Amino acid sequence: MMSTEAAAPEGATDAAAWGLALASLAMARRFAAGATMWCVAPRWPAHGSHVAVEFVHPVIVGKRALPAVHLEAGELVGAVRLLSCPGDILLAIGGSGDAAVEAVVRRCEAWGLTTVWIGAGPHPSGPGADHLIWVDGVDMARAARSGELVLRYHLLWELTHVVFEHPGLLTTEQQCRDDVCIACSDEGRLAEITSVHDGNRAEVVAEGNVETVDVSLVDQARPGDLVLVHAGVAITRVEEAR
Amino acid sequence: MSQEPTSFLYPFIDSEERDEVALVTDLSRSAAAKMAESRQLGTVTIERSLTELQRAGQEMAERFGLGGRLFAFGNGGSATDAAGMVDLFLCPPSGVPLPALALVDDRAVLTALANDVGYELVFSRQIIAHARSGDIAVGFSTSGGSVNVLNAFDEAAKRGILTLGFSGYEGGSMATSSSVDHRLVVGSDSVHRIQEAQSALVLELWSIVQRGLRDGDGQ
Repeated sequence: MMSTEAAAPEGATDAAAWGLALASLAMARRFAAGATMWCVAPRWPAHGSHVAVEFVHPVIVGKRALPAVHLEAGELVGAVRLLSCPGDILLAIGGSGDAAVEAVVRRCEAWGLTTVWIGAGPHPSGPGADHLIWVDGVDMARAARSGELVLRYHLLWELTHVVFEHPGLLTTEQQCRDDVCIACSDEGRLAEITSVHDGNRAEVVAEGNVETVDVSLVDQARPGDLVLVHAGVAITRVEEAR
Repeated sequence: MSQEPTSFLYPFIDSEERDEVALVTDLSRSAAAKMAESRQLGTVTIERSLTELQRAGQEMAERFGLGGRLFAFGNGGSATDAAGMVDLFLCPPSGVPLPALALVDDRAVLTALANDVGYELVFSRQIIAHARSGDIAVGFSTSGGSVNVLNAFDEAAKRGILTLGFSGYEGGSMATSSSVDHRLVVGSDSVHRIQEAQSALVLELWSIVQRGLRDGDGQ
């Protein structure tokens, strides 16, 4: 993984700022590679619209417009699954107990999306995001109204555009795992079942790629189920939280 | 990725740059400085606006107490700030819920008005349709110059509606409009920092209104 994914260097800056910097670098690289950013904020739709308009219609004249879309509440899992492409960004806004946010975020690894989750209050105990941008010390209801939440996504926008001024660093994202034999590693990859052929074989999407796996170990595998895949076999179902 | 317009002057700086730790360190310093600046601006703005916030909040509480309703509007990010204010008044984390509507939410009304009478009238026409004497109109414009927001204030003032304007910079045209009863200005020239401080102002205003309503009930 990237060296910068380590914790903030001692005394260099505060952890919140470091997290924003890392998220912005990742977002800029994804945008440079053609990503769209899908924004979901089921409890806080005004923030979902606000963050999307920042990227689409920059407040600073001359900054490039970037594709960002706020998806209104509704069937968010189905909407993101249909609309997104591997390599896109999912930006979620909501507290850690927000089941509608969790339901989307937990599937993003299988879909091949980079996740940025902005929230406040207790940290999520369920599915994590690649980049957790968290307002500590206050609950979501306050952070959403005090300016702290909007400050976080304003900074993501500002820093993303700073990264664009460093084109040499936009293309150096390392693709790990290429030289690792998945079958020999202990790793199970998260996959979402898209269709079941018979009781034993199913088509899944993992890291955005479609593959066929053996699902005979999973009881009553159905489309939409999340499973852990190891060496071409779905070894277990990943249960939804609560 | 296209190069920045000036990068041809420094062909080796940008395209050969590979030190991502240095960049992330710079980004992170910039983020920390801006976070501090934002909080400082919010605190200073609330202090500076306290008298105006208290006057506006008291008048709003009186109007809510008599059945008045709040209408909020703005464009772009300010439209979402208007929607956020409505959410705060309508679904508060504590205190009493208060009747509030955002004039930016109905796509049929917005597009019909924009198409048929012009975008500069999208809020004023809704004020004419909905608002009555005793109501409250709150407009957001970071420049203070959004024509449709100013037009809505003019219509509201004609109808005995209490008007509040949130703006940045030095207040723009909102600062000199005789149709605005209460002006809340964030003295900054960064749209982002203005919007962040406005959130803090709205939260403070809401708590003054809630306090005003509690005190009113107790009398």
